[in-house]
Amino acid sequence: MAGLEYFKVDSTEDGGENYTHIARSVLQDHNLLSIVAGLHIYIDPKYPLFAAAGIIRPPRSAIRVSDVGNVLIEDGKATIAVGSETYLAPMLSMLWKRLGHDNVDQPDRFTVIISNVEIPEDLKDWIVIDPSESLFKDLIYAIQVIAPEGFKVRRENYGKNRFSYAASENTVPQKLADEIIADCFAKMEAELK
Amino acid sequence: MSLVPITYKGGVYQLDEVIDYIEDLGGYIVQRHNIANEVILQILMPSEDIERLKVFSRPLAGEVSESPLVGTEIAVVIPSLEIHHLPHSACDVAEYLRAHGSKSNMLGMARGFGKRISQMNDEERDLINEHDVAVFILGNFASCIEQKFEKFRRGINIPIILTGGPSREVLEQQTVPPVAGYVGNLGRFMHRTQTEADIARLDAVIEEVERVVSERRKELALDPLSVSPARLQMILQQEIPEIEDILAPAPVAVQLNGLRLKLSYPEYAERIRSLVIEDGITVGDVCDVLPSRMRDYVLIRIRPLSETNIVV
Repeated sequence: MAGLEYFKVDSTEDGGENYTHIARSVLQDHNLLSIVAGLHIYIDPKYPLFAAAGIIRPPRSAIRVSDVGNVLIEDGKATIAVGSETYLAPMLSMLWKRLGHDNVDQPDRFTVIISNVEIPEDLKDWIVIDPSESLFKDLIYAIQVIAPEGFKVRRENYGKNRFSYAASENTVPQKLADEIIADCFAKMEAELK
Repeated sequence: MSLVPITYKGGVYQLDEVIDYIEDLGGYIVQRHNIANEVILQILMPSEDIERLKVFSRPLAGEVSESPLVGTEIAVVIPSLEIHHLPHSACDVAEYLRAHGSKSNMLGMARGFGKRISQMNDEERDLINEHDVAVFILGNFASCIEQKFEKFRRGINIPIILTGGPSREVLEQQTVPPVAGYVGNLGRFMHRTQTEADIARLDAVIEEVERVVSERRKELALDPLSVSPARLQMILQQEIPEIEDILAPAPVAVQLNGLRLKLSYPEYAERIRSLVIEDGITVGDVCDVLPSRMRDYVLIRIRPLSETNIVV
């Protein structure tokens, strides 16, 4: 599978193989294929229990003001000549929030002027968007979509470079879920070494 | 005289003449779709006259083909309206049914998700029962379908087609008593149906629905309806001009044994009952005009000959 170095679906019943296609489509739709390095899914439809464990690659670096456009500071004014409009809207929101709406002007599509305020020296290094902030939320959302629907009782964990998810329509058997997730991580780490 | 469902595809050139010819032969246009310069007519017409229509439309490059799903309203039932089923696979199935001539409605239950916790309420059940056929789109695991489907089928008195991830044989084994039709290998998926294998699975759904609808038509022919639903549609369109102002798709949805009219029941029920069909016989004499569970629409159920002793 493109992007994933380790991918496995364990199921206690026939039909689990469909989840290979489902997981691939969902990760692709959410642009997460290049971020997830390994994913192990466990499904027991009898109990029912769905567990997923994943390892991610280091996320992309943060988008800074200098990535959006060239910054020119002159006569107490800063002019940003926008090169890429992709992150223009979040950059404006960030500037309005930090410098005040009245002090940030956009006279035309590709120009942003900051005036009437002391121009910070490190303006070009200000962070517009940090993809790692929303990454785990996106991942957990994607896993929720992959999981069979109706598994409303769920437990999710994320930190460093790994995440796990366990869900059921009954109470999640914590001990069992922890064992399964630990086992998934052990297999994955052995394979990814 | 048995009316056969067909589809006519052709250009706009001399279309009026084609429509006149169909009506002269005793046919009824159930639905008309204008797509760019092409027109698709869904027609119910006497079987012996189909050849005549083919000959008539040949110089106009019109195509006439049989489509058994014309004049049917089919419910595509999914456990919920969550992203797990939409837009794939439920919309794909509903759209494919529509492309083959039926009027398909998608019905997602409020609390149908899960296995142990899934439920269906009486409104949902009644709404499904207003259709000709219900296609249940369920998931990938046999044990889930077994437990879940038992709850869903209770109280459904129209033919059911069960689709799911396991093979047809497995689905057949789990459902006691059996339902009208099965389509296996069509579980939950999250991608667009565009490969040959995907389309083949949708074709299998159409094949099964066509088989079940044909059986239902044969059953109805044993005790014919007092008036053809297509004829009743034409009368309603002639007598109630307000139908022209309805913005809903298919303002009058033709079913196998009735119609759904998308006008307010409290306002129009009496007017519909008193419409004369022929020789003083009114709609109320041969039909039950009922409130539909879909908004405040009107549901017309045509009574069979054995009940009314009338055929118009």
